[in-house]
Amino acid sequence: MKLRALTAAATTAALLAGCGGGADTGSEGPVDLRMTVWSANAKHLALFDQIAAAYTKDHPDVGKITFEAIPFENYTTTLTTQIGGGNVPNLAWILESTAPDFVTSGALAPIDKDPDLLPSTTANWEKDGQLYAYPFSTSPLGVFVNTDLVEAAGRPSPAQQVAAGTWTWEEAAATGAAVQKSGKGGIVVGDFDYKGWDTLNSIWAGWGARPWSEDGKTCGFDQPEMVDAMSFVHDLAFTTKAMPGPGVTKDFYAGDAAMVLTQISRAALLEKARFTWDLVPLPKGPAGEYSVVGQAGIGVLKRGKNAEAAKDFLAYFTNAENSAELAQFFPPPRKSQLTAETLAKANPLLKPAQLQSVVIDGIERGDIKPSHTGYAELQQTVRAALDPLWRPDADVSGVMSGVCAKINPLLAK
Amino acid sequence: MSPRLKVLVYGVLLVCCVPFVFPIWWMATTSLKPVTEIFAFPPSLLPGSPTLDAYRQVFDLQPFGRQYLNSLYIALLVTILTLAVSALAGYAFARIRFRGAGVVFVIVLTGLLVPNEVTIIPLYRMFDALGLVDTHWPLILVPALGAPSVLATFIMRQFFVTLPAELEEAGRVDGLGRFGLFWRVCLPLARPAIGAVSIFTFLHSWNLYLEPIVFLSSKDKFTIPQALTQYVDAYGGPMWNTQLAAATLSALPVLVVFVLAQRQFVEGLAQTGLKG
Amino acid sequence: MTLLLEKPASTVAPPEKAPYWTMRRRDQLAGWLMVAPQLAGIVAFVIVPLGMVGWYSLHEWNVLAGTFDFVGADNYAALADDRELGSVLKATGLFSVGLVVLNLSLALFLAVLLNQKLRGTVVFRTLFFSPVVVTLVAWTIVWGFLLQDNGGVNAFLDVAGIDGPNWLRSGGSAMASVIVVQLFKNVGLNMVLFLAALQGVPAELYEAARIDGASAWARFRRVTVPLISPTILLTMILTIVGSLQVFAQIAVLTQGGPGTSTTVLVYYLYQQAFQFHHLGYGATLSVLLFGIVLVPTVIQWRMRRKWVFHES
Repeated sequence: MKLRALTAAATTAALLAGCGGGADTGSEGPVDLRMTVWSANAKHLALFDQIAAAYTKDHPDVGKITFEAIPFENYTTTLTTQIGGGNVPNLAWILESTAPDFVTSGALAPIDKDPDLLPSTTANWEKDGQLYAYPFSTSPLGVFVNTDLVEAAGRPSPAQQVAAGTWTWEEAAATGAAVQKSGKGGIVVGDFDYKGWDTLNSIWAGWGARPWSEDGKTCGFDQPEMVDAMSFVHDLAFTTKAMPGPGVTKDFYAGDAAMVLTQISRAALLEKARFTWDLVPLPKGPAGEYSVVGQAGIGVLKRGKNAEAAKDFLAYFTNAENSAELAQFFPPPRKSQLTAETLAKANPLLKPAQLQSVVIDGIERGDIKPSHTGYAELQQTVRAALDPLWRPDADVSGVMSGVCAKINPLLAK
Repeated sequence: MSPRLKVLVYGVLLVCCVPFVFPIWWMATTSLKPVTEIFAFPPSLLPGSPTLDAYRQVFDLQPFGRQYLNSLYIALLVTILTLAVSALAGYAFARIRFRGAGVVFVIVLTGLLVPNEVTIIPLYRMFDALGLVDTHWPLILVPALGAPSVLATFIMRQFFVTLPAELEEAGRVDGLGRFGLFWRVCLPLARPAIGAVSIFTFLHSWNLYLEPIVFLSSKDKFTIPQALTQYVDAYGGPMWNTQLAAATLSALPVLVVFVLAQRQFVEGLAQTGLKG
Repeated sequence: MTLLLEKPASTVAPPEKAPYWTMRRRDQLAGWLMVAPQLAGIVAFVIVPLGMVGWYSLHEWNVLAGTFDFVGADNYAALADDRELGSVLKATGLFSVGLVVLNLSLALFLAVLLNQKLRGTVVFRTLFFSPVVVTLVAWTIVWGFLLQDNGGVNAFLDVAGIDGPNWLRSGGSAMASVIVVQLFKNVGLNMVLFLAALQGVPAELYEAARIDGASAWARFRRVTVPLISPTILLTMILTIVGSLQVFAQIAVLTQGGPGTSTTVLVYYLYQQAFQFHHLGYGATLSVLLFGIVLVPTVIQWRMRRKWVFHES
């Protein structure tokens, strides 16, 4: 190693630092494309590679297309470091919660909007009528039920209650509490763990509550609907004990809990389940029936090299035919493909009735999970301010006003 | 020592062992449990129905053998380079009064004070400018020459300082120059310090987490800690037993090496110059 | 070794005539040559990046938008207004002091026990050292399981009739947990260093002290501690440095919570720079961290002659 050369280069790099970087350099020969993804799943990657291979066969101007799997936990951080370091990927998966950051900052190049896309699925990814990312995964939240546990606790099954029109949060809580008495877990909110408070959206939406106003300027945590919803959650954890308390893990997929609120795509984890299970829509809240959708998008990074080629590949990657292929892992945003029939092919574990009630109806009227610019900071700030709530003797409305006091300066930005 | 005291000492040692050994025991045994048993409460000490599925998955899902080799060769290379750099620098700081030594020492010590999170972005820019992102170079050069090697230099300096002046005077009489004194007289005595530095350096490189995640993107170039985080199901949920199996595999060989080398390491460290 | 020879001549060698090369001057050159690789590495991989960080700290850098605007001292002014900073600094101090005190005491205690002439100490030595070789992330994940409200630690305490706290979920015990997880991970390293130092203490000195009628504690205080003081300095610096870089543990176990009770400076810096995308402010925090660490280290280093035995 030539240290001197290295030192010199380091100094050069230092001088270059801060100049944005990643500018287009006119390249010769076929261009390579890189898409960052957070799934390291072998089946997913095999499908992506297959689509990419079909594309490069017809497009000699595109060389290699790589899918770079970055662990979910560090995903946005690593992506940001790459962008900050000037090594900008051509395409990137983007989490719904960071969508506003990416969309409004101008980091993404606008893409064409296929009329087949449901308007409710693209709202989060648009600015001034332009679409900035393709919502390739639009996954409604449902309730997976361990019917064995519910039956053993002597409670009517949620499916019966749905049919009878009595599937409400009161009833769900009663079932959860009955199961939890037996030592198993009651209702688990997926990925919540008393830290990921935004997953509670799947509950408070039933009360008509929002964390902040539509325009993102006004705090919603101290509003009466939200205080009621959070009091209900607090009761689930500490009074009715229908939900495992803080610091207690009950794994639904291992048969340790009665219900889990999560995305329907997790059905795949139940392939080897040793209990009978069902999938039902979210229970009715005081504000009536509702549904919640989780999303992920793919965007073209403006400062990545060859943005045009990347845009073209994205259009191919997500065209009707490939979208149908991707549907086996990621519920599609396309009207034409949201039929129980198409979805059933892709999700052999789910019955058509389940798909219709949870997926199709869900996507059509679904609330997208909350998002905001500067989301990560809001997420952390709310998390810290909500921590006092997770004690048996917490003063709910006091804590909720405290949350607003903390985040108001952030919302005002 | 009275028998009673002996029993007491053994008792204390045994109790002290629990927090050290139990997590490792749990890690190893849990890697043999089927997923359904992992969250059982109270946690079981032995797997009810042991299975090697997780170990099979470790190798099925990723080129784990290749990643193992990556970690191993990077750690070895870093250790050797660090030894060379730190022994020389440590010797100079300890035994040579050269102009500017104080200032240089302070500059070098800043390396001890800078957490790697602080410099990762500029380093990334530098290596990207050199076209060395997604290669192992940053993981070798930065630890061997940058901040992490300062600790090694410091240990070496602390060791060389304790050598009696007469040793070198005798060497001088024999006509040795500075490099001769270093190479023939002092370095052979430094085995314990070399041992300590080797272990620190090797483990530091072996455990490196943030840097590989930032610098590497191809699976066949990954290192072990990075590979561990890649054992996730289709939805980013961790595959606990597979992660634990991989973690067990990553810890065992190092543990074995330590068991074999520890007598030399510990006792070697005690035997030499430190006596003064 | 080839590394060393090619690099530094241009920067160092005083261009003087041959008869000038006395032993003393030759030493000058040798000294510079020998530190050259290390110095070059530090300049390239620490000083230059630090300079860049200092430069970034004067800017508002939006990575996503690709904007990099000079804002002068705004980021430093923001430090003064940062409402979280007080609690962050408190957590940092609490963690570092707690860890250093516990780590050094436990390491020395275990080393003294293992230094007794007893059978089987090799086994214990290995056991105490074993967490050091377990990948940090794995170790932390395992403890995360054990410290759950319904986890192994509380099951264990339950047997002893103690109702354990919800370790990672209440302010005081979360900090204690993070400290203890780090303690057991690395105390073996310091223990081995202490053990080596203890074995280097000549037995005659203890004999002499015993003949003078010194109690066991007095022998430890007057003979052992002074003789192993270089090791104490070394382990202390090692541990302080390690404690200021604690990151994966916090990220996995508490994510800085509950509240901000375990948000230490490095974690806060990471949040600001990487999660919240305030790279300029993150750089400013880096500069602060650097300053905070520099002061005590320099003081400690200047004081070492007073209490470290070998460096008189």
